[in-house]
Amino acid sequence: MFHSISKIVDGMDFETFIRAQNESEAKSIMINIIEKFGFKDIDIVFVEWKGSGARVRARAYIHRAGDNYAWLQNDKGA
Amino acid sequence: MNSKKILLVPLDPVHDIGIKLINKSLQEFGYTTKILPPDRRLEEVVKHVEAFEADVVMISRTLGYGVEELLSNLVDIFEATGIRNNIKLIIGGMAIKPELAHELGFDAGFGAGTKVEEVIDFLEGRSYKPLHKQGSKQKKDMTKGYDYVVRDREIKDMLDEITNKFLNWGKDKASPGTQRADYREKIFEAKTEKENSKLLKELYNSYINCCDVEIANWYSEKIRHPKTAEVNNEDLVSLREYILEIKEKYNPLSIQHEKDKPLIFIQYGTGCPVMDITHIKVAEDWGADGVVHFDPSWNSRTEGLLEGLLTHQDDGSLITPANLREIKSALNSETLWQIRAHRGLNTPETVVIAGQLGADLTKINIAYGSLAAGTDPERLAVDAIKAIELASKYNMSFDVVTNEELSGVPAFKAFSGMLVVAYTAILMDAKPILQPLFCYSPEMMLGGQMHNNYIDFNAAKIMALRSIINAPIWPGAPIGFLTHTEDRVQAATTTALHASLGSSLDVDGISTSSSDEAYSRGPITTASRVDTLKSTREALRFFGNCRIEPTEQAEHWRDELVDNIKETLYKVSRQENFVEAIYKGIIGSEEDGVYPGRFGQGTVKYK
Repeated sequence: MFHSISKIVDGMDFETFIRAQNESEAKSIMINIIEKFGFKDIDIVFVEWKGSGARVRARAYIHRAGDNYAWLQNDKGA
Repeated sequence: MNSKKILLVPLDPVHDIGIKLINKSLQEFGYTTKILPPDRRLEEVVKHVEAFEADVVMISRTLGYGVEELLSNLVDIFEATGIRNNIKLIIGGMAIKPELAHELGFDAGFGAGTKVEEVIDFLEGRSYKPLHKQGSKQKKDMTKGYDYVVRDREIKDMLDEITNKFLNWGKDKASPGTQRADYREKIFEAKTEKENSKLLKELYNSYINCCDVEIANWYSEKIRHPKTAEVNNEDLVSLREYILEIKEKYNPLSIQHEKDKPLIFIQYGTGCPVMDITHIKVAEDWGADGVVHFDPSWNSRTEGLLEGLLTHQDDGSLITPANLREIKSALNSETLWQIRAHRGLNTPETVVIAGQLGADLTKINIAYGSLAAGTDPERLAVDAIKAIELASKYNMSFDVVTNEELSGVPAFKAFSGMLVVAYTAILMDAKPILQPLFCYSPEMMLGGQMHNNYIDFNAAKIMALRSIINAPIWPGAPIGFLTHTEDRVQAATTTALHASLGSSLDVDGISTSSSDEAYSRGPITTASRVDTLKSTREALRFFGNCRIEPTEQAEHWRDELVDNIKETLYKVSRQENFVEAIYKGIIGSEEDGVYPGRFGQGTVKYK
């Protein structure tokens, strides 16, 4: 089945601000959130924690280099 | 001299700057170190470890590709040769996460942003405690060092004439707004004295008589205003715990690099005091020096202010004593706090509440409020005189905003109005702060002055004001107005660049927006606040003590602005009084795109 998500060229970034006790907790929370969306290939691109919480940018890769690029299969339904 | 011997091994083909810096620091701490050239084969590394008799091997790796396989091979070969048991094995670099280091069998991993002290503490078996900078920031007074001398004699003479006539005009006038300010002050006093319920009741009755019906209903019938709701008490308790918790960890960034100014302000007004406080705490952490309270526009067109801890469904947070008290209690002691009072029917009362609750700054301008914000000029003039008197009494400086430029009023007219209000304040022993806009105004769009760059005309504004008067300058509000788009990177960048221009021109403060400035379909987010503060910090770091050099055109526009201001002030001085000049469009006309407001029309009376 062709999913809309296959139209993503490489990765999908998730940006937010999280209340967390420290950087490590912020990362865990973020990864947990994205895993719940069903993504597997996840990384924390950036995190900066101060007392009030953490600015986080996480990434889920849909297509890495050398993959079969589903977004090239244009007009075959999404 | 420390007895530990440390071998530093850059595993990247070329990127070894980080490890060189670490090496230098380790030597300064007394360690014996040796740094290998980059890109050695693993077998070679083993030989060097043995020959150097290293106690610690510190690997650096910046590139992320293939990092796991490479490091895993390294650990394997160290184990196979038996040297792993005799050394501490550390990995550091941009590609490294502590979790990955442990997973691969390293004793520690240090990623981007690691401080040398962290590495040293690890080598010495100590747990790392970051330096705590609490208290290192201090509350600053933007007006300090300014004597408010009007440098241009011709302008001074005209301002003297205009303001003396204006103050004379206003001295015997009052309004429901000035009356409420008096009642509000007395209510504060009565509440601080021992229970005086009879007096309080009388004061509230008098207060209600000066309010519009929807405000009066709140006090007399407890009928909730349709746009408001009470703050959830459970949220409030949790918020207070959160504030206590994060105050313990407060270690703010500094946005300025080498200079003390400009002070960086953010604007809040999500509608809910709980969310406002959360945004403020985030902004403080990321280096904001001050915060500006935004109230709802409908409330500035309504006679009277509500009480209680109230949220609001639209943009802007209600000015109530309870809301502001809650916000004040959450502020760090060095954070400057501005409550805007500038545009509506509650101007003097807002200054009373702000002053009573310890605000540092307020905002007053007759021209903007009556030409572009809908308030009747006569009414706002009477209220503003009272508000300036109160600002002086509570020792609050205030900015004189010129946002009528955004409605199409040329800068020289907006500046003329600003100078009249500022000079009035100086005569009343208050401390005004000039607030020109750094913006891409309709005047610029139509006239093409910013076709080549955003620098020259904004610089000309500051140069013109400085040639006229020695007063603090706080461009706003926010800087870069009408240059932002909904794109986050673009919006943060334009704010950062305008901030850099402000820094280069040595202005005293700047108001920044979030990267959601141009987005209007919902509240801004905390992440957007952080992004703009970070980009501003980075830009100020980039320019450091360097200056942005305007072209010669800036000087030409400076002179043109001053000439046009003189011409405008001359026309104002020929009128019966300043208010008359506003009605006649001398500092902003229908052709420019502004109209004298009507809210509060006919409410001014003789005392």
